[in-house]
Amino acid sequence: MSKKITSILIANRGEIALRVIRACRDLGIKSIAIYSDEDIRAVHVKRADEAYHIGPAAPAQSYLNMTKIVETAKTAGADAIHPGYGFLSENENFSEMCDKNGIIFIGPTSKAMELTGDKMKCKAVMKKAKVPTVPGSDGIVEDMQEAADIADEAGYPVLLKSAFGGGGRGIRLANDEKQLRQEFEMASAESRAAFGKAALFVEKYLERIRHIEFQLIRDSHGNSRHLFERECSIQRRHQKLIEMSPSPVVDQKTRERIGEIAVRAVDAVDYLNAGTAEFLRDPQGNFYFIEINSRLQVEHPVTELVTGLDLVKLQIGVAQGEELTFKQQDLKMNGCAIECRINAEDPFYEFAPSTGIVPNCNLPYGPGIRVDTYLYPGCNVSGYYDSLVAKLLAWGRNFDESRIRMKNALDEFMIEGINTTIPLYKTIMDDPNFIKGELSTDYLERFKILNKMREDAKEAAKKSAKAAVAAVLLQSGFVRKTEAIHQSSMTKSNWKMMRG
Amino acid sequence: MQFKVGDLAEMLEGEVLRTTDNNSVVVKIGGKQHTLQLLKSGTDEFEFLLDNSFHHAKILQVGTAEVKMMIDGQPLVVKKHSKLTEVLEKASAIGGVGGGDRNLTSQIPGRVVNIAAKPGTEVKKGDVIVVLESMKMQVAVKAHKDGNLKEIKVKQGTSVARNDVLAVIE
Repeated sequence: MSKKITSILIANRGEIALRVIRACRDLGIKSIAIYSDEDIRAVHVKRADEAYHIGPAAPAQSYLNMTKIVETAKTAGADAIHPGYGFLSENENFSEMCDKNGIIFIGPTSKAMELTGDKMKCKAVMKKAKVPTVPGSDGIVEDMQEAADIADEAGYPVLLKSAFGGGGRGIRLANDEKQLRQEFEMASAESRAAFGKAALFVEKYLERIRHIEFQLIRDSHGNSRHLFERECSIQRRHQKLIEMSPSPVVDQKTRERIGEIAVRAVDAVDYLNAGTAEFLRDPQGNFYFIEINSRLQVEHPVTELVTGLDLVKLQIGVAQGEELTFKQQDLKMNGCAIECRINAEDPFYEFAPSTGIVPNCNLPYGPGIRVDTYLYPGCNVSGYYDSLVAKLLAWGRNFDESRIRMKNALDEFMIEGINTTIPLYKTIMDDPNFIKGELSTDYLERFKILNKMREDAKEAAKKSAKAAVAAVLLQSGFVRKTEAIHQSSMTKSNWKMMRG
Repeated sequence: MQFKVGDLAEMLEGEVLRTTDNNSVVVKIGGKQHTLQLLKSGTDEFEFLLDNSFHHAKILQVGTAEVKMMIDGQPLVVKKHSKLTEVLEKASAIGGVGGGDRNLTSQIPGRVVNIAAKPGTEVKKGDVIVVLESMKMQVAVKAHKDGNLKEIKVKQGTSVARNDVLAVIE
């Protein structure tokens, strides 16, 4: 079942909306943008072929308003909707609503989304498909004895997790059976008090882990391909900060082995379109499947840079019913790519959010540099949406070339009016542990990176100190004849001065 | 005039010595002489050469004793230090905290999602008083000192701007 897509409504905003619009323009497809009150002057609104207002600033009334979005798509005559990432991208109800209204949803089927969205169900499917998962209970643990048995089998230390209440809440650590008993009592009581029942499950606690994921694409003809791995271990509060491909600890053999497992994972859930299989890798080199992200991810450009593929175009092709034209063995990893997520947060002040107008900005350029952003001089960084303002990517023929290019690009990147996490990445690019590839999800704390960042800022201040003082002398009129300098530099041209 | 640049411990002395012919001045900064040539100036912005290095400065905020700027793309605060400021600093330390210190202000714009403390109770420095939400993140505003939480000036749902007073601690 093949339908040619001639117009796409992008149900998103910010840099990803612009990304999809660019793919549409490449393919000659009409791009339809939606915007809230807050985004009326946003770059994705300016660049799309058509733009429709869908509601006030709050996401619930705009970018999450399924009915309004589908209505708008019908009014605009959109063949398809691309959900981007976040918002409605993994909402199976939205996917179904599109289906029911004869609009192609560019992504997986609602059935596949439902399965990948339920972690316990998904884990069970993976076990059947012989995809290695994190050792632990297959479902909810009925009682303490069962918990102890599972913990013995998986090996201590273990985590006791609540089936309800996400975001790191209700996670307890037990180092032995005695502690497990204590924690089980407390966790059950807590769970009962909050949700009326004690629904807990047990999982092996993996330490010093690396987060390594595989990009996948599956068409409607059952062809699955993996597009290699991305290492995303450097995180803060479970949010990725830096992603790169290849991973320093994945050699070609491992790539083929885990890639094949990742393909099995998406086959097992009858997946469609682009997705990512996430794994945790322990220091012994064992990989454990944790989940499938059923959407295009923030860090997809990393894979685009090392494969030469355009993932958004691939998504559109698959959505049209096209068959993938390349075989797994046709794909080759080329060079190394690193991505830094530039967030509007102050890394010197507990990553406090920073919002407001960006009066001026200077994006970095040069060989191997790519910037995906919604920034432009005069744009607004809103407090209603997430803090990602730009993705800075550097490609090099090897890790060191990409790392140094990234470092210099970070130096060139200037954003006025808001605080950003650029200083944090500058420090990391020069950190010997990062250079050695010594990464894990506790990287920031393990190597006291924030302290290093403060030291680096002091050094940078030293270098700029004299220039800063000179600027103050200029500003406060300590420089006599400042007026004369203003006059002469503004009215006379250089030619005249030289002749004079 | 003495200047304190950012968090650097040492003060830097800065003064203008004389002007030269081609729109340059000779300055003395940190005990050394340098040539300062202004290339372009606009509202709150300067492009200049300090010896042979190009610099760009954007003045963000000017206070009585400090200047907030972006120098070569990097944010920096320069405090002007004179005998007078020294005297004033000593006086405020002896006399105890001034009126401005009672106010717990917000460092960020956002919406109040939770009031975490009760007015009329004793609080310690670091206690969470109010929780704000911005950019889908929750930020806890903590008491800046020990004392009695006299008053909370906001309620759940209030939108606050940077530097707005959230509470009063005495």
